[in-house]
Order: sequence, then C-alpha cells, then structure tokens
Amino acid sequence: MQVTFKIWRQDSPSVKGALKAYKVQDLTEDMSFLEALDHLNEQLVVQGEKVIAYEYDCREGICGQCGVFINGRAHGPHDHMTTCQLHMRSFKDGDTIVVEPWRAASFPVIKDLIVDRSAFDRIIEAGAFVSSKTGTAPEANAIPVPKGMADKAMDAAACIGCGACVASCKNSSAALFTSAKINHLNSLPQGKAEQHQRVAEMTYQMEQEGFGSCTFTGACEVECPEGISILNIAEMNARITKSKVFG
Amino acid sequence: MKLEAKIPEGKLEEKWRNYQVKSQLINPANKKKLKVIVVGSGLAGAGAAATLAELGYDVQCFCYQDSARRAHSVAAQGGINAAKNYQHDGDSVWRMFYDTLKGGDFRSREANTYRLAELSAPLIDHFVQQGVPFAREYGGTLVNRSFGGVQVQRTFYARGQTGQQLLLAAYSQLYKMVQAKKVEMLPRNEMLDLVVIDGKAKGIIVRDLVTGALKRYAADAVVLATGGYSRVFRLSTLAIGCNGSALWKAHKKGAFFGAPSFTQIHPTALPQSSEAQSKLTLMSESLRNDGRIWVPKKQEDSRKANDIPEEERDYYLERRYPSFGNLAPRDIASRAAKERIDAGYGVGRLKNAVYLDFKHAIEKFGLATIQDRYGNLFTMYKKITGIDAYNEPMQISPAAHFSMGGLWVDYELMTTIPGLYAVGECNFSDHGANRLGANSLLQASVDGYFILPNTINNYLAGVLKEAHPTTDHPEFEKAEAAVQAHIDRVLAVNGTQTVDHFHRELGKVMWQECAMSRNKAGLEKALAQISQIKAEFWKDVKVTGSDKELNTELEKALRLADFIELGLLMCTDALQREESCGAHFREEYQTEEGEAVRVDKEYSYVSAWEYDDGTFTLHKEELEFEFVQPTVRSYK
Amino acid sequence: MLRNKLYFRKLLIAGTGLFLCLFLVVHLSANLILVLPEEVARGLYNSYSTTLRESPLIKIVAYALYLAIVLHVIYAIVITIHNRRAKPQKYVMNRSNENSSWASQNMGILGTLILIFIVIHLANFWARIKLGIGEEVGLDTDGHVDVYEVTYSLFQNIYYVIFYTVLAIPLAYHLHHGFKSAFKSLGFYHKKGLRIVAKVALVYALIMGIGFGVIPLIVYFK
Repeated sequence: MQVTFKIWRQDSPSVKGALKAYKVQDLTEDMSFLEALDHLNEQLVVQGEKVIAYEYDCREGICGQCGVFINGRAHGPHDHMTTCQLHMRSFKDGDTIVVEPWRAASFPVIKDLIVDRSAFDRIIEAGAFVSSKTGTAPEANAIPVPKGMADKAMDAAACIGCGACVASCKNSSAALFTSAKINHLNSLPQGKAEQHQRVAEMTYQMEQEGFGSCTFTGACEVECPEGISILNIAEMNARITKSKVFG
Repeated sequence: MKLEAKIPEGKLEEKWRNYQVKSQLINPANKKKLKVIVVGSGLAGAGAAATLAELGYDVQCFCYQDSARRAHSVAAQGGINAAKNYQHDGDSVWRMFYDTLKGGDFRSREANTYRLAELSAPLIDHFVQQGVPFAREYGGTLVNRSFGGVQVQRTFYARGQTGQQLLLAAYSQLYKMVQAKKVEMLPRNEMLDLVVIDGKAKGIIVRDLVTGALKRYAADAVVLATGGYSRVFRLSTLAIGCNGSALWKAHKKGAFFGAPSFTQIHPTALPQSSEAQSKLTLMSESLRNDGRIWVPKKQEDSRKANDIPEEERDYYLERRYPSFGNLAPRDIASRAAKERIDAGYGVGRLKNAVYLDFKHAIEKFGLATIQDRYGNLFTMYKKITGIDAYNEPMQISPAAHFSMGGLWVDYELMTTIPGLYAVGECNFSDHGANRLGANSLLQASVDGYFILPNTINNYLAGVLKEAHPTTDHPEFEKAEAAVQAHIDRVLAVNGTQTVDHFHRELGKVMWQECAMSRNKAGLEKALAQISQIKAEFWKDVKVTGSDKELNTELEKALRLADFIELGLLMCTDALQREESCGAHFREEYQTEEGEAVRVDKEYSYVSAWEYDDGTFTLHKEELEFEFVQPTVRSYK
Repeated sequence: MLRNKLYFRKLLIAGTGLFLCLFLVVHLSANLILVLPEEVARGLYNSYSTTLRESPLIKIVAYALYLAIVLHVIYAIVITIHNRRAKPQKYVMNRSNENSSWASQNMGILGTLILIFIVIHLANFWARIKLGIGEEVGLDTDGHVDVYEVTYSLFQNIYYVIFYTVLAIPLAYHLHHGFKSAFKSLGFYHKKGLRIVAKVALVYALIMGIGFGVIPLIVYFK
C-alpha cells in the first residue's frame, strides 16, 4: 500500500516547525505504524536526508514512550491503544496521515515528534512513593489487602506515563496521570501513612508544571491506552478535600 | 589470570550470612564522600541506585530513555518467583534453588543460585511495602500461580503487568531519592565508554542524546545494569533501544564476558509477519498454565484451526513431556516448536507458528475466569493481530528473549575489572544455561536491592583512602577522544546502506546459526558471514545528520557496530562449547529422541572470554557441585 | 489554599454552577405560570413576583445569585486563560469529536452565549422593573406591579421569541455537561451514583432547555 505522511518537522525547541509531506510506497497492512515510519526513515537516509526523530522503545504497548498525535487523535484512530500497537491495516491505500507531536506547554518539543515529558517524573518525585527503605518491610502477608482493593489499586497503577491524557486534553490537564498514581498508592494500606501529604505535594507539583485544569471532557480516558477511568480524577478531588480537612 | 569467584565458606545456607559478617563496612559519614555511577535504570539499576542512595552514597544514574520508567523491565508480564511457600505445596528455598540450578542445566554456581532463592522471600515483602498491587485472594492474602519448569506455585504477579508494576515501584523509590537530592538522574544519556584508571573502574563517557555532546563522569565505582543484548538477533522480544554497547565497551576495557552464547529463545512470542518487522511481541508464558499447545497431525494442513477435529491435533508437548506437559521449560518448549515447524507442521500464513489454545480452559473454568487471568493479554493479542483468541487459538512462535550470558561476575557481582559491577540481566550469574520463567525480575531485583548494596562496600572501603578520580585525568581525555574518533569514523563512511539493513543481515545470520540449535559448520559459516557484515558495515553504512544533535540514526549505528562484534563472540563461544546444555543446543550432541546431551566431564565450567584486540581468549571457571549432584535434566 | 488553585477554581465553578442550576429550577417553575390561561396567569404571576421582591430572605438569595453569576463567570475566564496557556500551540488536525462531546469541548463558547442572554434578559426585565429604566411598568387590578404584562408584551415580538428560544439550546448543552461535571469536580466518584447523575443531568438539561425554550413560543401564540 501507499500513503502520504504529513509529519511535523522541527529541528530544535527554538525554531519554528511545520508539516512536511512524504509519499511512502511499498507498505503492507501487517506493518505497524512505527515500522512504516522506520521504512520512511530508511528511504530518507538513502536520499541523504536527516531522519525524522520519533520515540519508541518496547513496541509492545507498555513502556509509554511512543506517543504521537496521528490524524487528530492521540496514538491514532483507535481508543485505548498505543502508537506502537497501531497497524497499517487501520488505514486505507492512498490515505494521508497527519503526524504531530504532543502539544502542551509542559511538554516542549525537543525535535520533530519528540517532546520532553520530564514534568511527569517531577510529579512522581513529589510524592508517588512509600517512604520505606530497602530492608525495612514487614512480612508480605502481614497486612491483608482485600481483592477488591488490590484490583482497584491495580486499575489505577496500570498507567504507562505516555502523556496521551495531556495531549488529548484541550486544557493539557495532567489530572488523569496524577490522580491514577495518587489513587493507586492511597487506596493501599501501605500508602496510607503518607496519603495526605502525597495528595498535597503531587497536585501542587502538577500545578507548578503548568498543566491546565480538568474540565471533564472525558477525552483522556478514551485515549488512555490502559483505559484508566476518569473517575480517578473525581476521586482525587475528594482526596484533596480530605487532605485539606484531615491533612 | 585465574578467575576467583570469591565464594564464601560454610554450608550453602550459611554462605551469604558468612559473607556479610566478614565484609567491610563504611561509616555513614564516609559513604557520603563516595560516588557511585549506575548505568541503566531498570529493576536492577533503579533498585541499586535507590538503595545505595538510601545507604548514603552519592549516586548518579544514567539511562538512554526519556525517563527511568521506560526501562525494559517494564515489559515482563508473567511474574516473579519467591520461595514463600504460601500455597503450602512443599516449596522451600532449597527446592527453588534446585529448580533454578536444574533449569539452568547445572551451568551456574550453587552459591549464587542458592542466594537468589534465599533472598526471594524478603523481596516480595519489599515490593508489597512499596505498594505493588500484587494479585490477592478474596481474604486479602497473596495469590500464586505456577510457571514453566516447576511443579509448585511460587509465582507472584500483578495482572499481566508484573514487570511494569515492579519497575514503577523501583522508579518511584529512585525518584524519591532524586527528590531527596541523593541521586542525580540523567535520562537521555547513553554510556559510550568505560574509564579505567590504574586497573580500576573510575568513570564513564556518555553522549547526551539531546545535544550530542560527549560528557565525562568520574566515580569511585561503576555499576552496569544495562540489561540483555538479544537485539543482536534484531528480531527479539526486547525493546528497540536495548543494546549491548555498555557491556561491550567494558569487555573491551578488560571485563571478561561470561557464556555470551547462552540466549533464551522464548516459546510464546507472536510470529514474524513481514520482513519489515522490528520486534516480536511476547505473550506471557503464564498463558501456558491454561493454554494447550498443538499443531495439526497432518503436514501443511490448510484448514482453519477450529475446523481441525480433536483427534487430528498433536499436543506435542503433552506427548513428549507428560509430567510437565505445556509447562516444560522454555528452551525445551521452544526447541519442540522449532522441530514441529521445521518438519512442516507449522501453522499461520508463513507456516512459522504453532497454536496455543484456550478452548479447553474456557470450557473448564468459564470465560470469566480466563478473562480475569489473561484479559489484558488477549486484548493485546487482538490489537496486534486483529484476532479474537477467545474464539480461535492464538498463533505463537519462538523468539529471542533473554541473555543468560553477560559480564562474568564473582559472588560480589564484581566483574574482572575492580570497581566495575554488573547487576541484573547484563551479568552472567544465576541462570546457568537457561533461565526459568519469572526468575528474571527476581534476579534483577535481588541483585540491585539486596546483593550489590551489601557487597560494594567491601570494595569501596578499600578505595576510601585513595584520591577521588577527577574528569581531567588523562584516561578520561583519552577515552573521550577515542569515543569521538569512533563516532567520526561512523559518520565518515557515508556509504549507501542503512543501519537497519546491516542489522537485518546480522540478525538473519545469528537467528539461523546461533539461536535454538547450533552446529559446527553453521557457526563457522556464521563467523565468516559476520566478519563480512562487519567489513561491509565499515565500508558502506550511511548515517545522515551530525553527531552534535539528536540523531537517532547515529545512536542505532553505534549500537549496531558493537552488536556485530558481540555476534562474533557469541558464535565463537557457541562453537567452542561442544555439548548441549540448556538453551545451548548443539546438534552434534543429542540423543536419538532429540534430547540434549550434556558433557559434564569436559564442560562443567563457565566460559569467561577475554578481549584482546579483536580476538577472544577463553578462561574457565570450573563449577564445583558440592551440595547437589548434576543429573540429566529430564522433564518427561 | 493557594497550593491547589486548579482545584479551588474548579470547586468554585462547580459550586456556583450547581447553585445556579437550583435557581433555574425555581425560575422555570415560576415561568410555568405563564402557560396558564391569561386570566389566572396574570394575577398569580404578579403576586408571585411581588412576594419575591418584598421578601428579605429572597433579597439575600438574590445577592447570592448575583455573586454566583459573577464568580462563575470570572473564574471561568480565569480557568480558560490558564488552560489556553497550557496548550499554546493547537493541533493542525484534531478530531476531538471522536473522544469527547462537543459541549464539553466548548463550555466557554456556550457560557458566553448564556452570558449574552443573561445581559439581554436582565435588560428586558430587571432593568425595567427594578431600576425603572425604559417604559414605565403599570400595576394590575390587585395593585401588583404588572410583570406579566412586561413578559407578555416582550414575547409578542417575534425576534425576542426567537432569541429566547434559540438561546435555550446552548443553555441545555451547558447545563448537561456542567451538571455532570460539577459532581466530579466536587469529588463525587461513586461509579453507580455518577451514572444516575448523568441520567439526571440529561433529563434536567432537557427539561430546562425545552421549558425555557418553549414558554416564549407558547406566550407568543397564546
């Protein structure tokens, strides 16, 4: 099959970028979207041009590195999917595919389709941990965690940190990311000791990073590869209130 | 040079305790003055960096990804083993030790393997305390399942995302120490060389992947936690960025490479579908708990899976290994699949797969139970292949997966370069010639959290009085200049072929001759072919862009240049070891039934290779089995 | 407090929003009087509005109402400015309609339309009746200020009728998303509960939209 990619090219954060069109032939439906880009890059090398910079690592939907905006959707046309899981069979022969980097003030473009998501790391740094040193843990079965509670924590913990929530949110809100982490740890007995501080510090850091506020459009939960529920954000709001009252 | 494994005295059960009692301690005030570099931020790296920082060392941690959370530990799906005996099924540290040693076909040290089993239980405690949402029973206690190669249930898991959850716990703990200003985290920085001063590891040269600048970092000790190198096959279950460069640079600077050819081929990956494929996605081995593997009894059977009646299906694992059945260890399951595929029974469009069928499990346990156990794996399968595995069997195929081989390390996890440590998958330590399922996350974590932080002090106590290295030392000068010259050389070739072209060529040779089954003629041919690829690479590779910018093509080229040389060593090692053991199957050494023949008399040692300007010298660490008797590994 | 400005701003918007939602219920129920036959409606409507104007309690509520509107608007503007700064560069291609409702993406526009409506609505009634601007308002036979007449005459003008009826549409959309969203902003995260809230929001928005939109038409055709 043959498609035309319109890809955002931007050499560095300081210069202006623009979409550039590339016609790519000899693609097959079995190819993943990223393999199609690989294929394009090989052509560019042979032509002596600089390759398109885009990110990926695991290519099995779990590392969270491969986020790009494809034809107006985070990670492409399907719900709950990463870019690396998208295959060319989702497109038609002759399609034009627009590829842009995540757009958010807190995710500045580094080059072409690569953005800097270190703001997420700093939110984690602010409190997404249990302050127990290695070697200090009690016996694992000493504190029972009911299945429902463990499952709920796991649902929230599944976040892969790809940034699709921020990218697809018209306000660039990081509320889904932040709330998922808060709810994962705060709902487990191990995370209870620091629950209020965690909520306060992580949400504060989220604001400091310049993310927008959540207006519950619901785009994030549709684009989230792990299908993390937007209810996490509502729960986080309740936890903020709780931390103001009891914290 | 004699290889000194430094195994402590005493009974197997007492060795680790005896070691700790005798190792040197450093007082907290002095720890602050000692700088440790950790390269890699996966489970081993992040665990080590966080724990060393908690102990008071001054730590710098590097990774090539944009965040520590991307490290490929994240992709391990199935679980982590621990000898907790929560299921009351007769498990114990000893049994786990024995399973691991036997699983590795008696090609690892007893003392190391025992320690792995011994430290597994506190590791689960640790991860639970860090907030890992392991699967639970309704009553709140932890759930276990069984994994390939064992008959007890000792695997802990967090849905199909165990690796991710453990890595996120380690990453969180690491960033807690970043917040506390005890760790400096340097993502998007790739190590390109090791700096050795007076025979000791004292620093690294890295390339800032955003600006392209080369930078020097000095430290009192360097810890490599850079993971596996199965991307040498190009098509593997590894992340695209996974590479062997840090190991290779260390090897070239004097660290011996242990059992480089021991590579695990995982039986349950998705089959290759095209030439352009960049990666083979792994489906968790846990699927083999409930799924049954089969091929049609008729060759080149073109019927759809569901149209083939029960009596015309060959459940070959159950047939050949009745007591372990579908849960036979990975090397055996992979080889059995290859045997069927090569014999013309393969299924799928390219006839390169076998079926993994859940029909019986769904009939027996109900759809809801199977969905609860494997739901996300089935979803993933559908995303990639477009096939609903609840209605028809999955198609799976073997794929290059785990590197048992790695830098040779002693009991302290130190390489043959003093002050250079290797932890996790990048060392050769506990798994012997084959790794058991769910032991990978375990080894990475135990190395990083529990072992290294208790052994590195033994070395650092000795260097405390020495002058701290600085980056203006002539060795740093020299190393940086060499790295720059290497980069310039790659860019100067300006040929006609892409990096991926050469990687595909290398991968084909390695997969053909140095994967599931190997033979003398093939390996000799491979050595010649790889030398040819190497020559062509340096004559005809083309990399566009410059080195002073973010240049993913250059990154790939530098990694591939090292993979090519590593491929030569792997084939050399496979050729030298004239026996079949674990994942290393030499066709010349098999029974009439096709089972492996181990040659203990001659090959009961760990091969440790020394680099000498393009040639490799073999050193042997004899394996002494004091506590168990190596037996023929039978899973019948 | 300052440490969670995103949260507090949303809390304020949600709180004032729900208060205004409640007000609309009262407002609409009063408007229903207009649907009755004129002989009943005029007296009832005028006495009702007089009671409201003269009650000190309602006075307090009225001030709360003004405050709610002002805060709701100001903070909506503040949030919008902040959110726009958080996404300075828009996508060349954005198919947000595939992952979210149009209303949720355009609460600002919907809100602005409603604000325009409120200004004109206040000019039509509040300015005339309370401030005495424009044509003087007469008394009915009971001696009450004839608010009914003001309303009735206004809705004899087809342009006003169209304006009031059409603007009930953005109101319904705004209320539908706002009502649902407010509960989540306030921290209500009960899954089944929110499903009920979503249904209530739909019914509520429909009633409000149809109610406010149809009454001018009924009055016009009376």
